[in-house]
Amino acid sequence: MIQIDRIEKSFGHNRVLREVSFEVPKGCLYGLIGPGASGKSVLLKITAGLIRPERGRIVVEAQDIFSMADIELQKFRANFGMLFQNYALFDYLTVYENIAFPLRRMTTMTEEQIRDRVADRLKRVQLPGFEDRMPSGLSGGQKKRIGVARATVMQAPYVLYDEPAAGLDPVTSQRIFNLLRDEQRAAGSTVIMVSSDIERLLTVTDRVGMLYKGRLIFDGTTEEAKGSQDPYVRQFVHGLVEGPL
Amino acid sequence: MGESLLEMAETAGGMGVLFGRILVRLARLRFDGAEFLRSMYKMGVKSVPIVIVTALFTGGIMVIQAAPIVKRYGAQGLLGWGAGFGTLREIGPLLTALMLSGRVGANNTAELGTMVVTEQIDALRALAIDPISFLITPRFLAFILTLFLSTLYADALALLGAAYAGKGLLDVEPSVFYNGLTSGLLNFGDVAVGLIKSVVFGIIMALASCHFGLAVKGGAPGVGRAVNATVVASAAGIFVLDYFVSFGISG
Repeated sequence: MIQIDRIEKSFGHNRVLREVSFEVPKGCLYGLIGPGASGKSVLLKITAGLIRPERGRIVVEAQDIFSMADIELQKFRANFGMLFQNYALFDYLTVYENIAFPLRRMTTMTEEQIRDRVADRLKRVQLPGFEDRMPSGLSGGQKKRIGVARATVMQAPYVLYDEPAAGLDPVTSQRIFNLLRDEQRAAGSTVIMVSSDIERLLTVTDRVGMLYKGRLIFDGTTEEAKGSQDPYVRQFVHGLVEGPL
Repeated sequence: MGESLLEMAETAGGMGVLFGRILVRLARLRFDGAEFLRSMYKMGVKSVPIVIVTALFTGGIMVIQAAPIVKRYGAQGLLGWGAGFGTLREIGPLLTALMLSGRVGANNTAELGTMVVTEQIDALRALAIDPISFLITPRFLAFILTLFLSTLYADALALLGAAYAGKGLLDVEPSVFYNGLTSGLLNFGDVAVGLIKSVVFGIIMALASCHFGLAVKGGAPGVGRAVNATVVASAAGIFVLDYFVSFGISG
């Protein structure tokens, strides 16, 4: 389980997160939604231990990650897979080396095993044969899919996705969401997924939380989110033009 | 004025903290070997052509400037010593450092800064990899080694350039130039002074370029500002440290 407990974060005078609290049960695919600049990506980075909040705790496997020493936290991050909003592919490595990077660093797999795993990932994200390409030669959608491949290659128990399908066409987008759900079900991993593609996101989530101006204004099941009568949640989930947002 | 001083103090403090973190990793031999070799190739091997050209012409320029005095006082026999003294103790390490500050330092800052704004540094941390061990410490070492080795062959090439210029402008035979160089007025201490300076310059340039690269904020314009800051800070640092090292060694 991931427990997010009263997280507060500001950048200068800008309060990005205000007392955000929710729990992601073990094996749950949790969708985090909200308008732009509501703090979703920042919360994801805090959950991964990449940014320290001013107040609050992130508790994973009964451990408060921010009470760990830096070296301990660094090792603990090996339990997380993460997809960044801007892909964060390493420019000087090929696609193959990008996906193989965590396997080389954190496992004792042989080169043949790594090759097979990378090929499998590329096949799953529908980019077979892209091993020798450089990130600079890829489209935005292709980079996103390589990022998904790298985030899932370790089959980590906790995975954080920041806009996994941004920039993809509708068909590929739905395939990626389905893939991530299938991966999550097969591995039993605990996932937090941020996406602006509400329609497709809600086809794969178990629970949903909505951030608005730094506050969590909804936390419930996917069905509860779809049926919510809260005007903010209703407008956002159904993409309505009229409303308080 | 106060704001500028605060900024300088913040920069100096940041570089000091980074230096400490690098030293800890060096002491524990915690740095990535492959990244070190990659950095040596990018910083050192790819700088060879520009260092060669700079060094050859530096030697020639020194002789051109000294020519009127040499002719007036008939000091052709001292040309080798003069070129050697100036090159080994000062011009060699100084100009090599300034050249590499622009070529290597700026490039390193831009690369690191781009990695920051595209979240590649965050991706490393998310993959449980310490960016200081993986990226920064290898670059720091490679920078110092590059400057040390570049200064060595730049010194040799500057003297070669000076010898050729001496022959062309002052009709000083290479053997006379060589005799002046090895007459005993110069010794290993003069070589050591220049190499010590190259290591000191390398440290300040490496710290400046890595610090400003990692501290980038504000997207692409931020990377540009960081590169500018690196070049300025490196140049200022080189001249300040040159003074103190020269003063410290000469007494």
